[in-house]
Amino acid sequence: MKAGDEIPVWELPITPTLVVSTALATRDFQDVHHDRDRAQAAGSKDIFMNILTSTALCERYVTDWAGTDVQIKGISIRLGAPAYPYDTLSFSGEVTDVTDGIATISVTGAVSLGAHVTGTVRVAA
Amino acid sequence: MSEKPRDVHSLVDEAVHEKIMAAAEEIKAWGEAAERDARDLVNQPTINNWLEAMGLESERFHQGEAPPSMAQVWTMYGQGGKHPDRDPLHAMMNVLTDAGFDGVLGTNSEQSYDRYLRVGEQVRVTTALDSVVGPKSTGMGAGYFVTSRSTWYVGDERVATMLFRVLKFIPKVTA
Repeated sequence: MKAGDEIPVWELPITPTLVVSTALATRDFQDVHHDRDRAQAAGSKDIFMNILTSTALCERYVTDWAGTDVQIKGISIRLGAPAYPYDTLSFSGEVTDVTDGIATISVTGAVSLGAHVTGTVRVAA
Repeated sequence: MSEKPRDVHSLVDEAVHEKIMAAAEEIKAWGEAAERDARDLVNQPTINNWLEAMGLESERFHQGEAPPSMAQVWTMYGQGGKHPDRDPLHAMMNVLTDAGFDGVLGTNSEQSYDRYLRVGEQVRVTTALDSVVGPKSTGMGAGYFVTSRSTWYVGDERVATMLFRVLKFIPKVTA
């Protein structure tokens, strides 16, 4: 792993099943992640992906590329546009730095409204 | 944090701002509070459900280790879970809600993993209020950024930490 290494783009179709199953698998029972009526009553267009899942998908994106044998040291994300069903979450990423055995990988997960998640994943390289 | 935005008066009544910042100092002084045990030990069925939902496949997570970003999953409140009275994050959010900042939006999550958790471990978590910054004019409306710090332990060993930031805001009125 070296600075400048690019991770191939990964496109994940967002379905209601994905949003609901990942919310429940992360034990997040907030209604806006599984109940469209409640989500819309709260001013949202639809149910939307929860933050634990945005973090988990950054983990998956990096380890699908680097392998799960790498040791992940941290995942820092900033949330942007909501990830709604029937959109596509498109991940891109690049190794930006390798210092003292730690690689910093910048990751962006974009939806049609803009960046859903931008962040960094730190792995022991 | 001691820096006061120049436009504080135009965004929030000075007395309201002072009250919010005083409450923030009081809650920060609680330190690591709201200590809770995870409902379940780190366990394979919960890992399997997560792997299936995320579509992540790895032998590693069938051999005794849990995916690192599941750290927070173990101590989620669950369906109908109640926050303890002295939960610093929710106490601060309640102060802001009562002051009219009833919108909430998660903005940042910064997790660090000291090590991967192992099946059979009992995890516990503490939460502290790290900072309250504002008022700021944002795309959502005027608001305060509330940052909490969660720390996960197995016994006395720290295994993971998270800085979590939310924006508490007064929703803009749209015509």
